[in-house]
Parts: sequence; C-alpha cells; structure tokens
Amino acid sequence: MTKLRKLDETLWEIPASERADMRVPARLFANPEIIDAIREDRSLDQLENVATLPGIVGAALAMPDIHQGYGFPVGGLAATDPSDGVVSPGGVGYDINCGVRLLVMPLSADELNGRKEQFVHELSRRTPAGTGREGGLELNGAQLERVLRDGPRALLDRGIGTERDIERTESGGRLEAADPDALSPRARERGASQLGTLGSGNHFIEVQRVERIFDEGAAQAYGLRTGLVTVLIHSGSRGLGHQVCTDFVKRMDEALPRHGIELADRQLACAPIDSGDGRAYLAAMAAAANFAWSNRHTLAHSVREAARQVLGAAVADGTRLVYDVAHNVAKLEPYDGRELCVHRKGATRAFPPGHPEIPAEYGSAGQPVFIPGSMGTSSFVLAGRPASMERSFGTTCHGAGRLMSRTRARKEIGGKQLRRQLEEKGITVRCGSNRGLSEEAPFAYKDVEVVVDVVERAGLAARVAQLRPIGVVKG
Amino acid sequence: MVYRWVDHTAELELQLEAPTEEAVFREALAALGGLLGERTDADARDPVRHEVHASAPDLATLLAEWLSELAYLAETQGFVPERVDSLSIDSSLDLEASVSGRRADPPHLIKAVTYHRLEMREGGEGWRARVVLDV
Repeated sequence: MTKLRKLDETLWEIPASERADMRVPARLFANPEIIDAIREDRSLDQLENVATLPGIVGAALAMPDIHQGYGFPVGGLAATDPSDGVVSPGGVGYDINCGVRLLVMPLSADELNGRKEQFVHELSRRTPAGTGREGGLELNGAQLERVLRDGPRALLDRGIGTERDIERTESGGRLEAADPDALSPRARERGASQLGTLGSGNHFIEVQRVERIFDEGAAQAYGLRTGLVTVLIHSGSRGLGHQVCTDFVKRMDEALPRHGIELADRQLACAPIDSGDGRAYLAAMAAAANFAWSNRHTLAHSVREAARQVLGAAVADGTRLVYDVAHNVAKLEPYDGRELCVHRKGATRAFPPGHPEIPAEYGSAGQPVFIPGSMGTSSFVLAGRPASMERSFGTTCHGAGRLMSRTRARKEIGGKQLRRQLEEKGITVRCGSNRGLSEEAPFAYKDVEVVVDVVERAGLAARVAQLRPIGVVKG
Repeated sequence: MVYRWVDHTAELELQLEAPTEEAVFREALAALGGLLGERTDADARDPVRHEVHASAPDLATLLAEWLSELAYLAETQGFVPERVDSLSIDSSLDLEASVSGRRADPPHLIKAVTYHRLEMREGGEGWRARVVLDV
C-alpha cells in the first residue's frame, strides 16, 4: 500500500514505474477510509493489471466504490485507443449494461401511504425475479432480433413505453454497432424469455420518497420535488449478456497468441478493437446493451401497469422517466478531438451541462446519475460535472460497493430479522428468498454517502437529490 | 475427495481436491449441485438426465467449460445436478458425460464461470483445482 501516493485531496496514484508491464499509472478517486477498506483485497492489483492493457490512454482509473472483481476491479474504468488498443469483455463484465432507471410519480409519499403495501405487492407480482425461466415478455426470433438491433424502440408498437422514455435513456437506448448475428444461439436462447425480468443478486426495484433537494435548478429540470414518490429499477441484460461475455472471454482467450498479447490475468482477455474478434465483440456487446435497455424499459412498463391497477390511470400515465444509465459498458466517445473506447465496469457516464449527448431539457443541469445505496439506505441523484471530462473520461461512481461477502452477511443477520428491521424503518419488503435478502444486508456495503462525497469533491458529479426507500422488491 | 466454497466480497471461489483428473470433474458437479440444491425447493423432484459435451485447450479451461455447461443447464432447463453417471475425457481434451439430477427451479445464481485465477494441477497426493464464479 506504500506504493500509493496521494496526488490531491481525492486522488491517489500508483505510478507506471511500479511494474515493468504497466503502460500508464493506476489512479483511484478515494479518501483515507476507502483506502483502508480495500487494503485487504486485490482491487489495486487488479487496477494495476488494467494499466497493462495495450493501447490504454491516460491512466487506469477507479471510482471510490471500487471493490475486487475479476479482470477489472468493480468501479474500474479504462479508455483505449481504437488505432492500436484493445477491447476487453472483462472490462465490461458479465452483466452487460447492468444499469439503473429512475421514474418519478405524480403523487406524494403521503398520498401513496395507505396503498403502499398494495402497490409494492403488485410490483412484485408483475416483475418476475430471480427464479423461474418463464414470466418475461415472450419474444419470437424476429422480435428478439429487433430488440437486439434497435433497443426499446422495438417495443413501442407493442404499447410498451413511450417515445419520451427513449429520449431520456442513455444513447437513446440503442448502440448502433449492434449486430444480432454476432450472438451465439445460446445467448439468444437465454434472452428469449427473460425480457422484463429482474434477475437475482443485487437487482431490485425500490419505491422511494424524495427526501431532500440539494440543487433546486437541476431537481426542477429532472422533475423532482421533496415528498414525491420515485421508483428506481436496477437490472441488466440477464442471461443473454452473461452468455455474450462468456462466449467472448473464451474466444479472445484462445486468440491471444494470434494477436501477440500477454496478460497478467486471463480474465482480462482482449483483442485489438481493429480486428475481427474486437469488432465482433463490440457488435455483440452493443446488442446485449440494447437488450438491457429494453429490459429496464419493459420493467418500467410493469411499474406503470402496477400503478394503473392500484393507483389509477392518471398516476400511471403521469409517471415520468427521469433517465436511464448504464453501469457496465464499453462505448466509443470523443475526448480531446479523438475517439476512445471507454470501458466502464461498475461506473456511470456523467456528462456535464451542455454536452451534446444529453437530452436538451437537461442541457443546463447536466446528465442525471443515480447512485443506489444499499437496501434500506438512501440513494442519490447526481448531475455530471465538467471535471468528469478532464479527469475521468466523463465518468463517476455507480453505487455503494460491496464490503462484505455474502456468506458473512448471512452469518451476521437472518433474512427474517432483516425483513423485520426494514419493516420497522417503514420499508415494505417483497423478496422470494430470506437468504437472498440477508446477503444484501445494508452493512454488507460501503456507506454510499462517503462514495458520493468523494466524487463531488473531485468535481466529477454533484448531488441533486436524496431518495429514501419506502418499499423494495428484490430478485 | 473434497470441495470447498470460499466466498469473497463479490465472487464465489470453488476449491477442489481429488485423486484423479476425472474425480475433480465429478467433485465439481457435486459442489454445484450442493450450491443450487440448498437454494431450491426441496419438494421439486422430477428426475432428469442430460448429456454434456465440452472441449478446451487445457484441463483447467475444460473444468471451467464443464461448470459453465452445468450452469447453463441450471438456468435454461432448471437442472439441479446430483450425480455423474459416466464421464470420459479423451487425449484431445474432449469431455463426454452423462449426468443425473432433478428438474426444479434453482435460482439464477451463477452469472458465469470466470477464468480469473483458474487453476488445475497435479501435486503430491492428487489433483487440486480452483475456479471462480461470478454470482
């Protein structure tokens, strides 16, 4: 840990001279408490490994929610040059375009109060979660093909979501490079019945109350007011994305000698962006990303349908998408006049005010960013800030970051006891498995406020609103 | 034969020890069956059998492929593996196996089998292997 040197109040660095194979420095946005927390795990070694990737530009970066992953650390970020650099499926992860979407409802938490239990119950009924292979939107081959190519737009003519939803989705919910033919039959098979399903693990739908506003102007642009009900959806590309990553880690691992690449960790398997393997991965990853946006789009439709049933048509139709952001993705983005392939693994794009990629209505506020806290604790809405473009390839953190293993969390608290504790805090819980619930206990994660404080002081993003949970549906 | 699950912050590591190469593969199935079985409704007991094929350039990768195939069957067929009826690995590292278990409704627990810190080697009293799962 002595090799870490402090560059400023929020930024630490391991110089490239630390290892013969590092091409650039490894840098971490953090504070002393976060540095202490990762002392025992391998996240910094993993960040050093990222710094060895061919064609990496600037530095291998990590956000304050860094924790140990495989290949890249979670909370890691790398930009590579398409002319001589690589793309790494391990730099995106298995859950391609896992991300979050925030909806704001046209009613206050007080108005919801008497019907909250019923609403959360209806949400859980309409969103198939961790188990079961049925329950998603059934897609035939041609329909799946359209979803993979066009993202949520392919669902509009089925009455799912609106044009406005698509405008308020990162990249309009569609990465152009998507080619359904780049997917294996197995990836398609795993996707065919999983659209509109939540998934297990840390995926959730949370009903919240806007507790506090930090930036009135941005909050107004995003449609947020103190007391209003919001719904945060966290899910990804499900089995389809997992299979795409599995397929391409294998393919690129086998192709490493052909591309003359040596790696510190096999899970960093990669290929030149400008190669058949690289292009095929980007095409398959883009299709999986489009599938993930379609999945959250469909889940949002289920939220509106649950609202229609319990709270009436006016509430359902007045439920507005604030924004949808990806946490695990590789995208070509321009920096300093050249296009770079930005890998974000557990990190969020955070473009500042005036950036051409964000919706016009948010132009002066900056891109919305949602940082879910652990279950039962507050989440934050942030807005992208100019320093993100200078310091972190337009990126900020994505969540609280896991601190404790699932087994240890389970030993600390039983699911029933946790459920009772959450209910006592006024949070209605629907979760099929007590075990799954205890694995996601709040104390198993870092304090999200500490993480948010670091990115705000680093100038990457700034607080707009705090959201307090009042109900949760877990996968 | 011994298997052990080691739970890290965000991953699940499987450690295996067995007297022969094939026993490592059998043990890996038992470990996966245990992991899925203890999280699955005990009443669901539809016996079912699957044929599994896998191939890889080396034994460690073949072990990852084997687990990957079983995880795929768990997700798409609701397969909770219980035993290996037959298993053979030929000299070109093609694996053929027939496996039995039950069709139930196991959770989508395993996102993928990774190559991170993947290892399988012979030493001392037999074989040791390590596989890290993304969960």
